[in-house]
Amino acid sequence: MNFPIWDVPLMGGGLLIGFVSILHVFVAHFAIGGGLFLVLTEHKAYRENDMRILEYVKLHSLFFLLVTIVFGAITGVGIWFTISVVSPSATSALIHTFVFAWAIEWVFFFVEVTAAFIYYYTWGKLDRATHLVVGWIYFISGWLSLFVINGILCFMLTPGEWLHTASFWDAFFNPTFWPSLVMRTVVALALAGLYALLTASMIKTDEVRANLVKYSTRWLFPAFFILPIAGIWYNIALPPLAREISMGGAPAVTVFAGLTILLSVLIFVFAYFYPYRQPAKFPAPAAAMFLLLGLMVTGVTEWVREAVRKPYIIYDYMYSNSILVAHKNDYYAEGILKSAKWVTVKEVTEANLHEAGATLFRLQCQSCHTLHGYNGIALMVKGWDEEFIDHQLDNLDQLKGFMPPFMGSVDERHALARWLAGLNRRGAVSIELTEPPARPAAAAEEIEHDR
Amino acid sequence: MIDSLVVVPDADAIGLPAPVWFLKTLLNVTFILHIIPMNFALGGGFIAAVSHFIGRKTGHAHHLMLSRSLSRMLPIAIAFTITLGVAPLLFLQVLYGQYFYTSSILLAWPWLTVIVLLILSYYGFYLYSFRWESLADRQLRVVLTSAILFAVIGFIFSNNMVLMLTPERWMSVYQESPHGVYLDLKDPMLFPRFLHFLVGSFAIAGLLVLIIGMGKLKSEPDYGLWAIRHGIRWFLFPTLLQLGVGTWFLRSIRHDVMLQFMGGDQAATAYLVVGLSFVMITIVLMFLALNSDRPKGLAYAGICTTAVVLVMMSLMRDFVRDAYLKPYFDASEFSVQPQTAVVTLFLALLVISLGVVAWMVRKAWLATHPAQ
Repeated sequence: MNFPIWDVPLMGGGLLIGFVSILHVFVAHFAIGGGLFLVLTEHKAYRENDMRILEYVKLHSLFFLLVTIVFGAITGVGIWFTISVVSPSATSALIHTFVFAWAIEWVFFFVEVTAAFIYYYTWGKLDRATHLVVGWIYFISGWLSLFVINGILCFMLTPGEWLHTASFWDAFFNPTFWPSLVMRTVVALALAGLYALLTASMIKTDEVRANLVKYSTRWLFPAFFILPIAGIWYNIALPPLAREISMGGAPAVTVFAGLTILLSVLIFVFAYFYPYRQPAKFPAPAAAMFLLLGLMVTGVTEWVREAVRKPYIIYDYMYSNSILVAHKNDYYAEGILKSAKWVTVKEVTEANLHEAGATLFRLQCQSCHTLHGYNGIALMVKGWDEEFIDHQLDNLDQLKGFMPPFMGSVDERHALARWLAGLNRRGAVSIELTEPPARPAAAAEEIEHDR
Repeated sequence: MIDSLVVVPDADAIGLPAPVWFLKTLLNVTFILHIIPMNFALGGGFIAAVSHFIGRKTGHAHHLMLSRSLSRMLPIAIAFTITLGVAPLLFLQVLYGQYFYTSSILLAWPWLTVIVLLILSYYGFYLYSFRWESLADRQLRVVLTSAILFAVIGFIFSNNMVLMLTPERWMSVYQESPHGVYLDLKDPMLFPRFLHFLVGSFAIAGLLVLIIGMGKLKSEPDYGLWAIRHGIRWFLFPTLLQLGVGTWFLRSIRHDVMLQFMGGDQAATAYLVVGLSFVMITIVLMFLALNSDRPKGLAYAGICTTAVVLVMMSLMRDFVRDAYLKPYFDASEFSVQPQTAVVTLFLALLVISLGVVAWMVRKAWLATHPAQ
């Protein structure tokens, strides 16, 4: 609409965002919980007066630095890059609302990065007390950056009173802020444990390995008790539609939501019986498996969180296809092509029907659907005739609660239905909207040919 | 001026959270803070590679020591390039989002490749730093690869920053392909602009070498003095080269904008004149330092005058941006819905954080430099 729509064949932009953000979330939570792990384990080493534990913390802090400061930080920037090319309108809305929240997060991030480097580079050089203080500064600033980003993330699903007041504080301390903060905090602790299991299971000395494997496993337990309670709390704060989508409204989402719970329970049960009860026998490959399971839970959970937000990208404010809810009714009478930027078809005519249909697909559908790949539309409309598709489009939000309504004039809807109905007839179709000028004539011929 | 084929997205419906001048100040200040470590990392990578090469060929110990010193600095320089880069990217989006997002979309794949290249280049620099001994004769390959990747990132950035200034080309680019596979090689400003940054980074990283030298003056006086002089040479040669590259860059700027620097606009002309004057002053100071037995004071003065040059160059860059976008960008059209409390909180936290960081850095410095 306002911005050009980036066409990512087969995969779709949404999947790309998912890919980058799942990797980032998996590392970023570790960056927070892992900070506390480092400093508390350093305390433990001094308390037990065991230099072998201290050696482990040193090594683990290198691993921590390489994973979080490099991969974690860059993928964080990566999410930004990705969302701004896939959903520029939503990114812009977020930036305009939260630029100073992000600026505050950046301040914490700056402290965090400095503290991480100093913590690592001053092992054995700083006195113990000061070194621990640096560790604590790292963890506190890291957790505060979570505090800030959590408000922005939750806003997208539950903007709450902001919709009426446009106040920053309403946007930030929105209905899911607190339960989400609790959930993310305990997940951060659990991930700290999971990552630590990997490094601890590689310790050569049996006694130290058993000690630290068992100790690392304990970091998973708070999540086991707190996540169910916080999860229910979170669920209550969700908009009714989102709750329904996760609990039966959309089967795929429900299955994934169930999978989140199942995988989490699996991790905790195995963690209790294996590394916790038999820490000496816990090998590194098993730790790697645990970590992989953790990545899967992260992936599935983030996917569900994104999926329940449909049909919006910012709830009740902006639809998934970047059209503002407030503008919805403008397009029924006037049509959407007229006011859309980046399109060459401004009005539906008999001659440009095909091109208009393809353009409308790009404007209204392509943010979630590809043509032949992920969430591919061609397969979905296979076997449907034009009239049926038109009926579906006319009642889209009624028939599929997780989809936005079709927003356009009757002519435009017909054009889209015609184009969709033709997808499977013509075989492989690509949406080349804007070929050189010869194209409209060619498209018209094609339509003639179809008849 | 604007013809019908020029498509520019509308500004966001949500107003700005602070006045334009305030956001612009934050944008320029944080940008300057970002380009210092960026130059250290970009130029420093190449200097490390060159020193490494010379050191190995000639057996010159100081060259090898310098590449070792740089290897320790590069990961930290990159970390702060990224960290300090986040802030200008934020303020750029809030003020110029409709241009920046559009050009990013047109360049989507190359633009996203930056993330992959950055991860590779960063890990390469870590490898160079942490596996110095075990890398043995692969050291040079590793550091050179990382440096080149980092330069490629710079080239992609130049691409985006140039394309965002020329909305008149967007629609035809998008019509050519909506897949975000464009690489903007046609703009006359692109290559001189990129080269200007690249050559500049050698000079600024030369200052890093100089600073390393000053840090070593007491503990290893021979190496310290050598590094100071070597750093000055790294500063001087690219800077002299820059007289040519910079002129090419200036001439490649759209004619009407270029004329603004030639007296057309008072502020623009002042930035250029002050910038060039300080370049000349710096060159003289550095020449004097090069031939002095006690170069420290002169070198400090040179670093300070270079800082003035950096500020002027950044202001010029900002001026070029606004001048290019003038037909499409009117800052007075923004509505402002000030978030005074949040802005105040941000500033307060910034001050506190700077205090905390200063405390940590001081403690770390004292612990790692016990003799001083």
